[in-house]
Parts: sequence; structure tokens; C-alpha cells
Amino acid sequence: MGKDGKEYLVETNALDSGKLTPEQDGALLNAEVMDRSVIVKGGFYYEMDRKAGKLVKYQIKGEELTTADTLPLDRFSIENSFWAGGDTLLLTGLKTPDFAQAAYALLTTGNMKLIASGNMEIPRPFGRFETMSIGFVKMQGKKLLVGYTYHQQLSPSEYTTSDTIYVTSLSYPQMKSVKTDRDHRSTYPGGMNTIQSSSFADEHGDFYFMACPGIALGNRPQLPTAILKIGRGTDQPDKNYFFNLSLALHNHAYGMWYLGNGQAIVRSERKDLFKGLDDHYSTAHFEFYLVDVLTQKVIKKLDFPLDKGTRRECVLVEGNIAYISINSSTDGNYVWEYNIKAGTLKKGLQMAGNTDYILRIDRLR
Amino acid sequence: MQQAIQSAMKIDKDILERYHKNQCTAEESDMVEAWLFSNDSGEVLDLPPSESKDIHKLEIWNDIATVLPHSEQPGQFESISALNPQPLKRKVKMAFWSGAIAASLVTAIFSTVIFQLMKTDLPETALVNIKNTSADEVRHLTSGDYTIAVGTNTSARIDNVTGVVDLNGSMLICPKKDVELSFRGSTRKITFIKGQTYILLKGKDGKDKILIVDKKNLMDLPPVLQKQITHEFNI
Repeated sequence: MGKDGKEYLVETNALDSGKLTPEQDGALLNAEVMDRSVIVKGGFYYEMDRKAGKLVKYQIKGEELTTADTLPLDRFSIENSFWAGGDTLLLTGLKTPDFAQAAYALLTTGNMKLIASGNMEIPRPFGRFETMSIGFVKMQGKKLLVGYTYHQQLSPSEYTTSDTIYVTSLSYPQMKSVKTDRDHRSTYPGGMNTIQSSSFADEHGDFYFMACPGIALGNRPQLPTAILKIGRGTDQPDKNYFFNLSLALHNHAYGMWYLGNGQAIVRSERKDLFKGLDDHYSTAHFEFYLVDVLTQKVIKKLDFPLDKGTRRECVLVEGNIAYISINSSTDGNYVWEYNIKAGTLKKGLQMAGNTDYILRIDRLR
Repeated sequence: MQQAIQSAMKIDKDILERYHKNQCTAEESDMVEAWLFSNDSGEVLDLPPSESKDIHKLEIWNDIATVLPHSEQPGQFESISALNPQPLKRKVKMAFWSGAIAASLVTAIFSTVIFQLMKTDLPETALVNIKNTSADEVRHLTSGDYTIAVGTNTSARIDNVTGVVDLNGSMLICPKKDVELSFRGSTRKITFIKGQTYILLKGKDGKDKILIVDKKNLMDLPPVLQKQITHEFNI
């Protein structure tokens, strides 16, 4: 995103060096219909056009982002996406305009055809709760695990979140409820993974997700930000596993990316540097930490300038290198390389010109 | 006739309050209305020094406006400018009488927006007073200084003289020139850049923090608020 608010999409073969200027090298996006909540695969970009009620498949031709195909998805808001093999894409989300009914759409992106869609058998908000958020979906054998929670709107500018993480096992693809687990150790499981990653499965099939009660997601900051684990083949969070990040970092965190061998990167806010939601995105205050999810230890802080932008897909792991985009208020916008084995950092590609934020970084093919 | 009544009687706080409560005689009502439609600052007005005639005028207009049938197309608002007094009188008078009839027939509250220009020596639209009591429809309007989308169940008052905004609800605002505004309950001053659209959110509670975010950073807001705003304003 440029300082003038214009957004561009830039494709490149090299992240380790060089300089790109989005105004010259990128495709200008129509910010009225497209934002950063994009799914990228096989040379195409998929994004929900909320106003038109359709999923749009884009590709860059020349310097233009062009529409390749569309699929109507009525009254649907995407919360999470999950590639269910090949070009089969499972979108889980909520029915609009109430954001109170969990729903799904299963489609093939090659021909943009709908395989199935409907509601998921997940309880609607109850009592004082009005809306909900789906934070992760995970295939576990023949079941689909869905992590979610509920919200209460307190005023136009204030809301809060239930003190409970819910994980429901659904039969797949029938989407019928088999079992629901309630976990009170934190809240707001995961997040919209089309905007920022916050869960992964490791080499052993164990699944880890963040719980994010900080002001930028759950807004129940009394509870700790933590990493929870759903063991291979199980259908609920491991009650003996709770990696309390707030205790270790003295802050809330949002965003987690897996590097391999039990190591992950988490992106943590600095509450002493921002005032509130007003400046949470524009103040450079984010730090990146290397953590070990097996030992539940923070290994080290990665030596980047402070980063800005509340929610960003900012880490891309390719083999032994993690590419990490940093928006510094003083040192510009760069993609950094973290060598996982050597533990070293190097400055790579610069996004120059009018760039204000690098909003996401994805593998295109 | 109106002039005669005006010269014979004084408009004071008591009569204005009774007018608010619909307790005036026909003669008194005529007098208040004559005063209301006049832009003449030399008329007789007997109010305590701390009270502003303009504010009383505005409040009466707001009262009237709350019972007006909403005859405009959705998204259309009436803008009243005293720099152009003839259209002001004609439009408002017509609207007022429709409103008076409606008041006895309709109990529902209608969405209202009134722009009031106080004096020609003040900047245009010195006071922007907004009330949208619709639970499901956003109102769009343009004043001399701003383009505004008023959220559902929202009231706002922008005093362009003091630069103080009193908001209860949600709105999008795009200034036509750089402007510095502060918000009731806060000493912080915010510069709004010409041509950029800002999301403003605040609850009824005086302690409720006001949230101000540039629209281009909507996706950085918590998803709960982001979904609320994208749906409400059809962004």
C-alpha cells in the first residue's frame, strides 16, 4: 500500500535482493472491490467481492489485474480457507449480514465450480453474544475441526469476546456436529487466515494454533495470548499443553508461521509504544520472536526494525529461508531473509517508491 | 402580520420551552415560527446571556426534523444554507407544515439531518447536526466542508467554529479541506486530511473511547469491527 492509500500487486522471481517500485512494477488494484484478504495459488488470486456476492479469480496480465472467472457466493463472508487437496478449496465463513451462522463453500478453483455449500452445524451465538468468528479449520481424519468463539457488541466502538475457545468436530463433508470442546484458558482461537496466518501442522501431524485475546482480535486482554496444540489424531486442544506467550513476552501477539523442527515465528505487539486501536496499525511497534513450540520457550527476538501494520501475511518460508517483510517507519520497506539453520538475517528486496506498507507476501506458483 | 406579532411580544426561554413541548397558543406559535424563519439578528430575543439564540433555533429545527416524513429518496438529504435565505425559508416552511401534520399522525421517528448556518460572518455550515435514527439504513450527505455517511442509530454534532465533534454512533467522514478536529471528552486533536475518508466510532457512554481509523486501513481493525463497518457502510 502506498502512502496515498493506493494498493498494488507486484510479482517477482527474487526476494533476496534488488528494488521494486510498485507504481512502476506493479498492478494497481481497485481498492473499492479488492483488499488484502486474498488466497493465492497456482498463479491466481482469489478474493471475495463482498458487494457483488461472488468469489473472483484474478490473474495479472501485463500490468493489469484481470478477472479470470467468478463464482457467486451469496451472503457469505470468508473467515478461513483450506486447500482440501489439488484445486479443491474449502471456504468457511459466516452468513451475512448477521455474522451469526457458520457456513461453508466447497469448490474447485480450476473451473470455479461449486461442489457443495450450506450451513455448518455450529451453534449460533446465544445469550448476550450476537456474532462469532471462525479462527481455524483443520482436517483430522474424516472429520473437520473448526475453532471459533462468540462476540458481544458493547457499543459502536467496543466489543468483547467470550472467555471460551470452542472446537467443534464436524463430519466431513456432511458438516454435522460430532462433538464440541470448550477451553477456558484463553480465547479467540486463530484468526482470518486469508489476512494473517496463526496456525500450522508440524511434521508429526500435531496442529498448533494461537489464541489471540489482545485488542486487535479478541479484545479480552485480561486473558493471555498463547499457543495451543491439538495432537495428531485427536479432536480437542491438549489440556496439558499451553504455551503462554503473554507471560514470556509481556505483550499480546498475533500471527504465527512455522519454520520446521518445532520452530515458529510469532509477531508480538509492544503495548508501551501504541496508544490504542487508533494508532495500532500506523505506529511501528511489532517485534518478531523465534519460538520453540516443542519446549514452549522463546528462543530469541529477531533483530528487525520495529514493524507496522496490525494484521499482515508477512512471512513466507521456502526451504531453509524465511522471507519476512518489514514495514519500518525509519528504515523503509524490505523483505528480510532469515536463514533457519544458520540463524542469520540479511536484508533483501526493497519495496521502494511510495510504499507505506507491504501488506502480504505469498508464493504465487 | 408576523412582524406585528414579533414587535408586540418577546421570545424568551419560557416560550421556547413551551414551543418544544407543543404547549404554545396559536399566536405564540406563529411568533416563534416567524422568529425561526427570520435571519434578522436585530429581532427581540430575551434569553439569558449564556444562551445562544442560534442554538435554540437549531434545537427547534431538530425537533421539527425528527417528525418530518422522510420524503427524500434514500441517501438524499436536505441541506439548508442561510447564505441562500429564500430557498431556506421556502423549503423549511413547507417541510415544517408537513411535519406538523405528520406529528399528530405518526409516532415513528424518522431519520433526520439538519445543516444550520448561523450567521453570515461565521464559516459556512458552522454547525453540522446529524441524527440518523434508522436501525438499518445509512444516510449519505454532503455539506460545505465534508462528505459524510451517517451510520445507523447515530447522532453527531460538528462545531466548525470550535472544531469539537460530539459523536454517538458511527460515521464516515471525508473533509473537503484539511481540518483539525477534537472530540468531546478528549483533548486530543486529530488532523483530517482533505480527500481521505475516516471511520469514526463512539458509543453513548462518555467514557467510551472514540475510534478514528483511516478507511484504507479498515483491514487492520479487529474483524468484529471490520465486519460491522463493511456491512453497515457497504464498503
